Amino acid sequence: MYGNWGRFLRVNLSTGEVKVEEYDEELAKKWLGSRGLAIYLLLKEMDPKVDPLSPENKLIIAPGPLSGTSAPTGGRYNVVTKSPATGFITMSNSGGYFGAELKFAGWDAIVVEGKAEKPVYIYVKDDDVEIRDASHIWGKLVSETEETIRKEIGSKRLRIASIGPAGENLVKFAAVMNDGHRAAGRAGVGAVMGSKNLKAIAVEGSKTVPVADKQKFMLTVREKINKLRNDPVAGGGLPKFGTAVLVNIINENGLYPTRNFQTGVYEHAYEQSGEAMAAKYLIRNQPCYACPIGCGRVNKLPTVGVTEGPEYESTWALGANLGINDLASIIEANHMCDELGLDTISTGGTLATAMELYEKGFIKDEELGDAPPFRWGNTEVLHYYIDKLARREGFGDKLAEGGYRLAESYGHPEYSMSVKKLELPAYDPRGAEGHGLGYATNNRGGCHIKNYMISPEILGYPYKMDPHDVSDDKVKMLILFQDLSALIDAAGLCLFTTFGLGADDYRDMLNAALGWDLSTEDYLKIGERIWNAERIFNLKAGLDPERDDSLPKRFLEEPMPEGPNKGHVVRLKEMLPRYYKLRGWTEDGRVPKEKAEELGIGEFL
Amino acid sequence: MVKVKVFATLIEITGRRILEVPAGNVGELLEKLYATYPGFKEELEKGFMILVNGKNIEHLQGLQTPLEENDVVSIFPPAGGG
Ligand code: SF4
Repeated sequence: MYGNWGRFLRVNLSTGEVKVEEYDEELAKKWLGSRGLAIYLLLKEMDPKVDPLSPENKLIIAPGPLSGTSAPTGGRYNVVTKSPATGFITMSNSGGYFGAELKFAGWDAIVVEGKAEKPVYIYVKDDDVEIRDASHIWGKLVSETEETIRKEIGSKRLRIASIGPAGENLVKFAAVMNDGHRAAGRAGVGAVMGSKNLKAIAVEGSKTVPVADKQKFMLTVREKINKLRNDPVAGGGLPKFGTAVLVNIINENGLYPTRNFQTGVYEHAYEQSGEAMAAKYLIRNQPCYACPIGCGRVNKLPTVGVTEGPEYESTWALGANLGINDLASIIEANHMCDELGLDTISTGGTLATAMELYEKGFIKDEELGDAPPFRWGNTEVLHYYIDKLARREGFGDKLAEGGYRLAESYGHPEYSMSVKKLELPAYDPRGAEGHGLGYATNNRGGCHIKNYMISPEILGYPYKMDPHDVSDDKVKMLILFQDLSALIDAAGLCLFTTFGLGADDYRDMLNAALGWDLSTEDYLKIGERIWNAERIFNLKAGLDPERDDSLPKRFLEEPMPEGPNKGHVVRLKEMLPRYYKLRGWTEDGRVPKEKAEELGIGEFL
Repeated sequence: MVKVKVFATLIEITGRRILEVPAGNVGELLEKLYATYPGFKEELEKGFMILVNGKNIEHLQGLQTPLEENDVVSIFPPAGGG
């Protein structure tokens, strides 16, 4: 077998048992790896109805077949589990170097089961696997955790994925952090890790990932790297200004969500843009493993010293969405989230909900006591409550449940800008309606990454589509993006390669590495299979399409108040039935037998 | 006069973020900018995003999109993220 090792680790923390299991070529041709392998295992082995924070939930950490090879951006891995935030599947993806290292150690995945009696960490050195005591690291920040483990093992090579205090305290949006500042951020994967008393996974490996045709693979990779280097985005805007180059673009297009999505135009956007960051704080850019793009930011400021980030999403979530424009405070808040192990998008989204609830008079001063009031633009809120919520102290305990549960506890869930209880990212769908359909139908809830319709609707990739067009063409493009993203995730690459590469390019790299001769359609079928399998998981977990494939009322009923999208809402009702139909699903959004059988997943219905 | 906002690498080329330029349509505006700022044209060779009052000219009349007094034109070199 090439690309994949054909084996994965199963670690049961309740019993301490470690097993090696096989993953054969036939399965790989169906699921590729990473996100694909993970959903296959979860459907096969786990009841989707399990309590996400119980020992019965499984946490799967999986790089893909191209992770650890020289394929551009081949350092990614996914953390797949049932989310405590949504109650549905989540596949949280991260870059850095950890995913590649796990491949160097010779593993396609680690499946973590059960729950340790006391805090532990898993140490993997090639074929040797140890479950070690982590009592002395419990409670530590992410950087301290990495430092302590590194000292203990005494190896410089080590790559570490860990949780901070937020994961330990089961914050619903705790992240798994690796290599300091890279996050498998969304939907509470860190809380699942915390619920298992698992503080970290430390990995070092000495193997070379085998590829089928070395020469051909090398030439293919070289060609794709050149494509990326020559692409004006992947080779220009992204390395120079980072993802936050989007701040001005999205704001000028009138969909930069401001003050909990009350409007799509932020008066101070420039001050928190990639351009401003590059001028004020940037010292260099930072690539993940084997990445020719290098969109990561290394910033320096007096309060926190040298730090990484924030990305576009984090800048917005901790900035405009709270009416905050001070970039230094945003960078500092982002640093705190990394150290405490928090997803920045949901942290910001939850605080924004609190601010709107306060503005509308539902959260009262008496309830907050001496703590800072949730006023728009109050930077004190950022630093104070980020710490409190990660530790579940005072009002922080309520915030730790996420924006939806917070708003619901005041009887007003409509002030949570979330889908399937996952806080939405930095694009107001009233300015990109196909993207809105993406939010509503995303398997893990309010997420942009798995169906980035901003690409065609705003940026013009692969070609420009009208953001307010809701025709079948738009719906078909969304389906293609969902399937393609699933494929890229399963391959172990970064989604930013889509700025420069198309579906055929992934086919070329995969065929050369894996020794297969599949067509682009075959590969997209794998993406489609993964998407449908995740949908089946969600339906079995209790997804009600009518209730859950939806958007906050604000986007459906309150027209955008100003800017270029003034007067627009999302015409979700017009698109959703056609989405189901074009997916080959039933009118009520279920995967029918014929579709499941066509995709070879009938057994899971 | 139209108000022109430039972004990313274009700021270095013009030395300013906001310019005021008289022009009857987008094509004419670009010609004026090309003539005034060396390097501006090259920067847009691989593509651009031009908005008139926040609307992409691809969905208006392209380079023929007429401009009126006080219109705001935003010009970006190719850029993306996520
Ligand atoms: S494009 Fe950015 S996020 Fe993606 S692999 Fe490269 S540096 Fe990492």
